[in-house]
Amino acid sequence: MLRDTVVHLLRDNFTEAKIRGKKRYLLERQQLQSLTEFKSQAEVIGFLADSPYGPELSKLPDSASPAEAERTIGESLARTVENIEASAKGNVRQFIVEYRRRYDAPDLARLLVFKLQGRLWEDYATRSSLGTLSEKQLRKLYNIENPRDLIEEMADQTLEGRLENMQLESPSPDKAAFIRDIIVGWGDERFYAYASNELTGRDRSSCIPIIGSAIDLGNISIILRGKLLGLADIRSHLVPVYWKLDSKTLESLLTAEDIQQAFDRISAHRYYRRILGGSRQKYEETKSLAFMEVLAREHFARLSHEIFLGIPYNIGVILAFFVLKENEARNLSAVLSGIDAGLAPEQIRTLLAT
Amino acid sequence: MVSEPIVYASLGVGLSVFLSVIGASIGISISAPAIAGAGTERPEIVSKSLIATILAEAIAIYGLVVGLLSIFRLTSLTPADTDIAFRIFSGGLIMGIAAVAAGIAIGTSGSALASATAEKPELFSRAVVPLILAEALAIYAFVAALLLVI
Repeated sequence: MLRDTVVHLLRDNFTEAKIRGKKRYLLERQQLQSLTEFKSQAEVIGFLADSPYGPELSKLPDSASPAEAERTIGESLARTVENIEASAKGNVRQFIVEYRRRYDAPDLARLLVFKLQGRLWEDYATRSSLGTLSEKQLRKLYNIENPRDLIEEMADQTLEGRLENMQLESPSPDKAAFIRDIIVGWGDERFYAYASNELTGRDRSSCIPIIGSAIDLGNISIILRGKLLGLADIRSHLVPVYWKLDSKTLESLLTAEDIQQAFDRISAHRYYRRILGGSRQKYEETKSLAFMEVLAREHFARLSHEIFLGIPYNIGVILAFFVLKENEARNLSAVLSGIDAGLAPEQIRTLLAT
Repeated sequence: MVSEPIVYASLGVGLSVFLSVIGASIGISISAPAIAGAGTERPEIVSKSLIATILAEAIAIYGLVVGLLSIFRLTSLTPADTDIAFRIFSGGLIMGIAAVAAGIAIGTSGSALASATAEKPELFSRAVVPLILAEALAIYAFVAALLLVI
């Protein structure tokens, strides 16, 4: 542990100080909440002109759609990560590469869902700028006609097995979200395997709570969506890695009669009750599982703030900053989409993880 | 075994200068990258944060002063002056070891100062205190070494 700290102190303090400098420019909760009061996208973009998003957003035409603004915010996030990657060395650099590789899974999930829904390549505008897959590689995958061949080409046998017994054609929105959760879980599993096997000491202990709870929350989401879809065999779609989600709780979730009962059971879990407590009520109110993503982001942001309060010389600081930065980007996207959809400020605030 | 007083006194001079330079280089090499990293995001804090490298450099000067004063005494050293030789040796050793310890302390606290100031510039006036206390460690040894060698 001491060796890791000394290595980071001597080798990575440039990157660490840079991250602290960048962290200063993260938007405060009050700033984000005040953005929800704005009436138009142009006002929000004007507000962000002096922020790190400014250089990219200033190039957007006034007529830009929220999707374009969202993509521009994603590009700004990617630029920040690339900037840090450029100054990183050794296992920190490798960590950032693995972090970026994690974004390939959401890209592939979106691509597959687009393909299954019969949508055009031209509509596929939400590619994450953070992923390591190029536009050309994704385009090549998109051109594969048979979805099963596409999965075989884009992933490994692990993911093929998890999607094996599923009817993929023309998925409903819930089914599409279910497929997305499975593929994103597969990406998280790879990242978790890297963190478990390659990181040591404080590096590992600071990163695992975020990466591990992402896997657990992903599995919980798969189970809940499975219940919603009325699937009999949900277990085969789960990521076979668990952090705080013990086998007893998992079994109780899988055997729950319906989604409400599953919510009640997860609300009793000693770790996840502080994240998902009261989630049944939220589900009853919204009839959607979208709020889970906000709760998960709030949890990751909380863990990230805790990392920043601890001893600075470890990889956890880098992951914590990325989590906070990504959360900010998603919050901004939610504000832009909410304003575009004409939602009231109070409604938009429910979409923010602060 | 060599027991000439001049050997011990010379060793004391060497330890004082050499270890002080090592201490200073540790302090500078740990704090300077952090100052540069913080400066890429907030250029205005670089000049303030440079205090860490200046204080680290001062350690080498303390060692050099102790070494030079010791050298002046070497010229008048006779084979009977074993007590003076051991005082010069002890002075050099104290200065050298303290310089390495202070260099590590200045490097780590200087690095933390740069990081903290990059995130919250208003913290500078308070975050600089550990840095000054780290420098004080070298000053204690410097005073003790001076009393020994003069």
